[in-house]
Amino acid sequence: MPKFKLDDYEIEFSPGETVIQAAERAGRSIPHYCWHPGLSVAANCRMCLVEVMPPPGRPALSLDVLRFDEKKGDYVKAKKPKLQPACQLAASDGMEIKSDTSEHVIEARAAVQEFLLLNHPVDCPICDQAGECRLQDYWLDHSGRSKRMRDEIIHKPKAVDFGPTIVYDAERCIVCTRCVRFCEEVVGDPVLDKRERGNLGEIVLAPGRKLDHAYTLMTEYVCPVGALTAKDFRFKARVWFLKSVKSICVGCATGCNSYTDFDPRDQTVYRYRPRENAAVNRYWMCDEGMLDYQRIRERRILRARVQSDPGASATDALHKAAALLKGPGLAVLLSAEHSSEDNVSVLELGKALGAEQFFMTGRPNGEGDNILRNADKNPNRRGILNLLPTVSSLAALEKAVEAGQVTRVLALGSAVDGSADFLRKVPVVALSVHDGPIAQAARVTLPAASWAEAQGTFTNAAGLSQVSEKAVNPPGDAQPGWRWALHLAGALGVSLPFTKGSEVRARVQPRPSTAPSAQA
Amino acid sequence: MEALDIDLDESEVELAIEPMLVNVGPSHPAMHGTVRCVMELSGEAITRVDVQVGYLHRGFEKMCERGTWSQVFPYVDRCNYVSPMLNNVGFALACEKMLGMEVPERCQWYRMALGELARISDHLTCDGAMAMELGAFTPFLWMVKARDMIWDIMEEETGARLTHSFGRVGGMAKPPTTGFKEHARAVIDQVLKIVNESEGLLLGNRIFLDRLEGVGIISAEDAVSLGWTGPCLRAAGVAYDVRKAHPYMKYSEVEFDVPVGKTSDCLDRFLIRLEEIRQSIRIIRQCLDRMPDSGPINIEDPRVMLPPKESVYTTIEDTIRHFKIIMEGLKIPAGEVYSYTEGGNGELGFYLVSDGSGTPYRVRIRPPCFLVTGGLERVITGQMMADVVPCFGSLNMIGGECDR
Repeated sequence: MPKFKLDDYEIEFSPGETVIQAAERAGRSIPHYCWHPGLSVAANCRMCLVEVMPPPGRPALSLDVLRFDEKKGDYVKAKKPKLQPACQLAASDGMEIKSDTSEHVIEARAAVQEFLLLNHPVDCPICDQAGECRLQDYWLDHSGRSKRMRDEIIHKPKAVDFGPTIVYDAERCIVCTRCVRFCEEVVGDPVLDKRERGNLGEIVLAPGRKLDHAYTLMTEYVCPVGALTAKDFRFKARVWFLKSVKSICVGCATGCNSYTDFDPRDQTVYRYRPRENAAVNRYWMCDEGMLDYQRIRERRILRARVQSDPGASATDALHKAAALLKGPGLAVLLSAEHSSEDNVSVLELGKALGAEQFFMTGRPNGEGDNILRNADKNPNRRGILNLLPTVSSLAALEKAVEAGQVTRVLALGSAVDGSADFLRKVPVVALSVHDGPIAQAARVTLPAASWAEAQGTFTNAAGLSQVSEKAVNPPGDAQPGWRWALHLAGALGVSLPFTKGSEVRARVQPRPSTAPSAQA
Repeated sequence: MEALDIDLDESEVELAIEPMLVNVGPSHPAMHGTVRCVMELSGEAITRVDVQVGYLHRGFEKMCERGTWSQVFPYVDRCNYVSPMLNNVGFALACEKMLGMEVPERCQWYRMALGELARISDHLTCDGAMAMELGAFTPFLWMVKARDMIWDIMEEETGARLTHSFGRVGGMAKPPTTGFKEHARAVIDQVLKIVNESEGLLLGNRIFLDRLEGVGIISAEDAVSLGWTGPCLRAAGVAYDVRKAHPYMKYSEVEFDVPVGKTSDCLDRFLIRLEEIRQSIRIIRQCLDRMPDSGPINIEDPRVMLPPKESVYTTIEDTIRHFKIIMEGLKIPAGEVYSYTEGGNGELGFYLVSDGSGTPYRVRIRPPCFLVTGGLERVITGQMMADVVPCFGSLNMIGGECDR
């Protein structure tokens, strides 16, 4: 493997990689603003400048400069090496690069910071990026100096409405063009462009257009400063109060890796952020997925309810549910919205009660594209097919109910990909997160914990099983599916092959995928 | 009426032979804060005593792990709360040791002057309270008056009389006021006068001397093995003062003596503190003479010092600097340090462990009076009940420092 030397470290690289790419992979980061591993190289911020030592026997590339001499009180001629941007420099074998150990590089970084902050507004107290802002971090680590300009800063438009999701602040913008490159290269919709140059530079929309494609929130995500902010997150939370867990987006069958950011003090999820996964979503997420966290809070069922008895207590509901599930003709309706842990718990409960008919439903199809979005808006269809390759569809359940083969249903889930009216004809016990068609039709509904409130395994359309961690505690009386299964089993006097969450998890360990589709 | 026992034979009289258990404290005027002593008395003599501290434990060391480095200053203020400046300076020196930085000269003189004023305030409180508990109310009031003059200086300089949280990593919160030197010189003259008067009043009093002389003696070996430092150790004859043994700041450049006792009784401990006040006054005079009247008090390091407020509101760089230092805390490189100074009661140590972030990983305060209180048992066992008052008073146990 070819190697180059960065300061005192030997870094291996594959041919074709740039210095910054190889350095990042090796864990030695070089400060940068405009470079992004998922976008093309722009090299306009000049923060990643490094000193390249000349090969043996060759003179260094140097420039004639004037340096202020304190003792003489005047400028004197000096030489300075020409620094190269590490994001653009192709790594070559035996190269010697100085970054933190070169005084020229340290000076250059401080100078770049000074320029970037020259016309920057004093917005930290009101800027959402505070706490995760590269200008703040790099100023402290690489500069620490005040600027030498005494004039008023150049004023530019602030709080420009770019579209349904994004607000732009031109004064905060450092014109790194990450947003421009993202829209053009990843989305294929070049709606943003840069106008003017120098300290008048700003980002503008194509004439007559708004920033309205399906990945607009990614422009906010790539923006290293607070120039692009999401309307959904603006002024809602300060990032240093938020904790993160590694999660999986449940918006569709792509299974993008994400971080769920929540405030542990009030147990509220405030946003998702994409998590890098080269095999699934690379660095990105779509707007639908990014905003999907809102479903954690909306239309939740918080207490157990009995359709015929509004004043029923939780124990009443449990006993009523147990009474309804006793007897022949029990069918289990699984949900592709839910994790494999939830589904396997309900499946085992059904089997313990003698059910022999198993069906699956989920959210109806939506829009897909060839970038990230999958038309199947359920995160775990393959997961259920792995558990139960012979599972049938909602339409098949309707036929079975009409034919009298199914006389009671144990259902998991909230949404259906069809009509749920037929469910009113038979007693249904539902474990639902949201107050959807299944909960509306059910005789007894028990509140289930959502994907953010329990650890869950989801198998995406490509067959990859991924685990999503628990972020917040379930609200109200909601509990994870396996807990309800144990309660019901206790009330019904049957035993399940698990007693703890860890045992449920062990049953859903990822298995190699086969891909039969649901039988109608 | 004739005596009841006139016809009884001596062997027939039953005298109580079981010792009496008396619980003193934690809520007791003589227990200097909150200490519980469970005493076994045989008549008036104490045969055994169990000293129980911890009633003022507030979990400071744990709380320090939940804030930033500069948020520790209010906690250390409330440790030895009669000489808070010494605690502040001690902790600031510990952080600066880990950062490898030294504050400007003007700041060192300023810290020394304020620190010695705090030491005087500590000793005035101890000796004044000791006298009062033995019935001498006048010297107590005189010494408290002197202490209040010192607190007036503190209020003028820091804004608060007692818990001022004035120290900062890399300097102090504010530079000295223009009237500081004049004020301080006037006050220490007054304090010296009051100390001399009080001493004259007390040392001529037979009862006072009888209560203190020969009472509560502890040997130098015992004191050293108990871990005693400060005035109590010096009263036992061991000449250990951190300012002389391991000089810090400018203590090696000022002239002062360290009084050492001979008999290691309560009187020695009382007198040593008065003598230390006189030596502190000497130090303060030299510091005030040598402290420059202009020049920086704080280190100019943007990673550690907060910028002036006017530029925080007007420039982006100082907004960022303020934001980073406050929200993330000033960052001290990973490592550990033990830094020690001469506190009011002895070697005040700070053992700090940093994990490189703005939050301390561990702050361990070595409280000098915790070890001194550990010797209370040895000091009062065998003494009489009434001797507990001067003995405990002379040890100067400060609850805030002992229990944290």
